[in-house]
Amino acid sequence: MGLLNGLKDSVTRVTERLFSASEPKRIGIYGPPNAGKTTLANRIARDWTGDAIGPESHIPHETRRARRKENVDIERNGKTVSIDIVDTPGVTTKVDYKEFLEHDMEKDDAVRRSREATEGVAEAMHWLREDVEGVIYVLDSTEDPFTQVNTMLIGIIESQELPVLILANKIDCEDSNIQRISNAFPQHETIPLSALEGDNMDEVYDKIAEYFA
Amino acid sequence: MPHQCTNCDRTFADGSKEMLSGCPDCGGNKFQFRPASASNVTDSGAGSDGGSSGNARVADSAESPSESTNGNASGATGTGRSGVTGAAADAGSAVRDWVRGSSSDSGGTTAQTERRSKSPRAWPGTESESESGTGPESDSGTESESDVQSTPADAGVADATDVDNATEATDASSTTDAATVDRSEPDPSADAEDRAQASARTDVVSPEELSAAAEQSAEEPDADQPGLSELRKELNDQFESIKIVNPGQYELNLMELYDRDEYIISLREDGRYVIEVPDRWNDGDEDE
Repeated sequence: MGLLNGLKDSVTRVTERLFSASEPKRIGIYGPPNAGKTTLANRIARDWTGDAIGPESHIPHETRRARRKENVDIERNGKTVSIDIVDTPGVTTKVDYKEFLEHDMEKDDAVRRSREATEGVAEAMHWLREDVEGVIYVLDSTEDPFTQVNTMLIGIIESQELPVLILANKIDCEDSNIQRISNAFPQHETIPLSALEGDNMDEVYDKIAEYFA
Repeated sequence: MPHQCTNCDRTFADGSKEMLSGCPDCGGNKFQFRPASASNVTDSGAGSDGGSSGNARVADSAESPSESTNGNASGATGTGRSGVTGAAADAGSAVRDWVRGSSSDSGGTTAQTERRSKSPRAWPGTESESESGTGPESDSGTESESDVQSTPADAGVADATDVDNATEATDASSTTDAATVDRSEPDPSADAEDRAQASARTDVVSPEELSAAAEQSAEEPDADQPGLSELRKELNDQFESIKIVNPGQYELNLMELYDRDEYIISLREDGRYVIEVPDRWNDGDEDE
């Protein structure tokens, strides 16, 4: 009898471990607008599933609803890490339709875009609170990382004790400054990359496997 | 300062216990509540009401009764039709006109007439009344006035005014009171008015309240007054996670957005938003 119970226990334990290991972690891609979040999400998704996640654009706030790609299996060193990627709208403290007018947009469209972008920020913040288990924080390495948004978001992520990877994107650009980003967040490891060109993606996948396994 | 003694205008903070045993200054026991953002509906109601009663009296004291009567009457009905916001805005500009006018103008009837004809509202009319003295106005004038005004309520008001002219002490019409209230505000001599009026006054919006509300609603878009913008900032800090500065221009309070249980799914141009309550959150996010 005792032997049977022991066997049952061990079977349960094994199945539990099996299921918990196979359940993909939900990883949110966060960052300010136009940092390259969707470009990165698309690159990861294309590399490992063949599909893209959403349209990319040089106009900020192209992504205004969170988009999810489930069961992205990343293989590293013979192991497979399964994650759900959530590409979130860029987080900002101010949305102004006038910014979009510079990109040859009609006023009505610009106003609508800014409203949707604002809703998108609310959605992104909600995902951060409720639904993500790890964060890939994407920064444009040509821009100053010391902003209210970055400080606040990293602060929230830290307070939630979520595993976070900081990516310094756009290293293919001339005025990219990786050091400035690693100086800004010395408590985290900064990984340089170009999501657009696919530069240094191997290291990115290594780190994803390491952080979110 | 949400509470105000209707007798001496002393204000009390929200939740003040002082006023529970009457106003410490004058002993009055009637107070009115003045919320930080006075509602438009109240404004417009009081504004158009007061306006009509004001019109009735304007005609009496005006030099050219027929002219101003026509103007006022059409103005009054116009206000009635234009709906809540229009009326509030109208009242707002009226009050500002009046406030500006009363400081510079010391009893010049021409200036008043001018203001009156341009803006058919309560305060100019009543001011003229106070300056022309509270003496008996010609009843016939009021009567004819009430005929011109098309709104039944207005006509009723004018009638009441008519009757009350004889026996002002038993004055029970709130609109007429609105007229007399104003008189007491800029003119200290009018404090001698009887108790019946003072107590009936609780039913109407005081000129300060109206002007405060009007200023608020009128200044909303440009916000160049430091006091107001400060207040707004404070309110935003307290309540808002998303502030609509202008259509298409938003300021977001990330911390507040993060802290909310409910999830804002869509914004409306008029400042409303649609939220999703937390327990339904997990069903709703699958569509994109």
